[in-house]
Amino acid sequence: MNSSSAEGKRRQRFDSLVAVFHQDMYRFAAWLCRDKAIAEDVVQEALLRAWKSLDSLRDDAAAKHWLLTIVRRENARYFERRRLETVDIDNLTASQAALLAETPDREIDDLREAIFGLDDDYREPLVLQVLMGYSTNEIAEMMGLKQGAVLTRLHRARHKLKDSVAANE
Amino acid sequence: MSSEQDKELQALDLKIAKALQIDVPELRMPELPDIETANVSSLPAPKRSMKPVWFAIAATVVLATSISLKNSSLFQTYDSLADEVLAHLDHEPGAFRNVDVAVSDERLARAIPASLATFQRGESLITYAQPCVINGKDVPHLVIQGQYGPITILLMPYEEVAKEVALDGENVKGVILPVGKGSIAIIGDREERLEPIQKNVVNSVSWTT
Repeated sequence: MNSSSAEGKRRQRFDSLVAVFHQDMYRFAAWLCRDKAIAEDVVQEALLRAWKSLDSLRDDAAAKHWLLTIVRRENARYFERRRLETVDIDNLTASQAALLAETPDREIDDLREAIFGLDDDYREPLVLQVLMGYSTNEIAEMMGLKQGAVLTRLHRARHKLKDSVAANE
Repeated sequence: MSSEQDKELQALDLKIAKALQIDVPELRMPELPDIETANVSSLPAPKRSMKPVWFAIAATVVLATSISLKNSSLFQTYDSLADEVLAHLDHEPGAFRNVDVAVSDERLARAIPASLATFQRGESLITYAQPCVINGKDVPHLVIQGQYGPITILLMPYEEVAKEVALDGENVKGVILPVGKGSIAIIGDREERLEPIQKNVVNSVSWTT
């Protein structure tokens, strides 16, 4: 196989994976960092890293997990590099508020705001389970926790959201 | 848990899932660097009869001020710089293929921007040059061909180390050398003698950060 053909195939493979998982990557990044602009930057950096290390992905069936792991690490690196302040719920920037853009459904708006206000420790496992479909075992492995800790965090996250929904009714 | 509570939880989860489905902006693909796949041999590393290629010795070493990063809490994913350096090799399998084609000057310049460092190429056979990121910092990643196969060189102008750090990987060994406010990692096959290469590499690099 000559070089341009090999490179073409590699690019084709990459483009296919990105087309399938780009939305998951963005939504995961957005709920991790809670900022629309930062999420876009994190996804850019994750795509670059994924491109460079594509050859290490042996099985495309594992692509989603591989890409989301890269997003998670890039998010951590992003914040470490910039030493950004944590989100101030009462004083959101425009980019943070953009994530909470209103929908026609008031209940979903309120719930979205409540999810936004969860601590990182509760929000991340919830997103991984409900949005990305990960099992608690898989979440535990990704976050470096025991399964029991993940279950506790998920329980507390749902409890807080349930209280929030009840308060808004 | 009662079936009523189960139903409540399921209903809540449906709403949570809906709330998490935020709009996604149009994809902006970053500029993707070329990944060299030309003239790649899939054979295992041959034992070459020739001696390792030497770098030309630079006339002087000029060290500029750079950011010092000693706080180990920065290594959020890895326990140390050494761990991250070795892990980086796993993410760049293309660098370990044996090639007999030297990278162009243009590719080398892209991998080592003038804002990071100057590099005296000399007589070395550089077969891989990519701009990489380690610990969130720009790191030029080079590969030269040694007696026992590829030798990785990572130029890290932002990673200061107080003294030499030994690297011990599965099939490789190496060292992180302190160079002014930065450091250089050199990793090769376990049989490879890296000492002759280390001095020449250090003398060929000048930080410009």
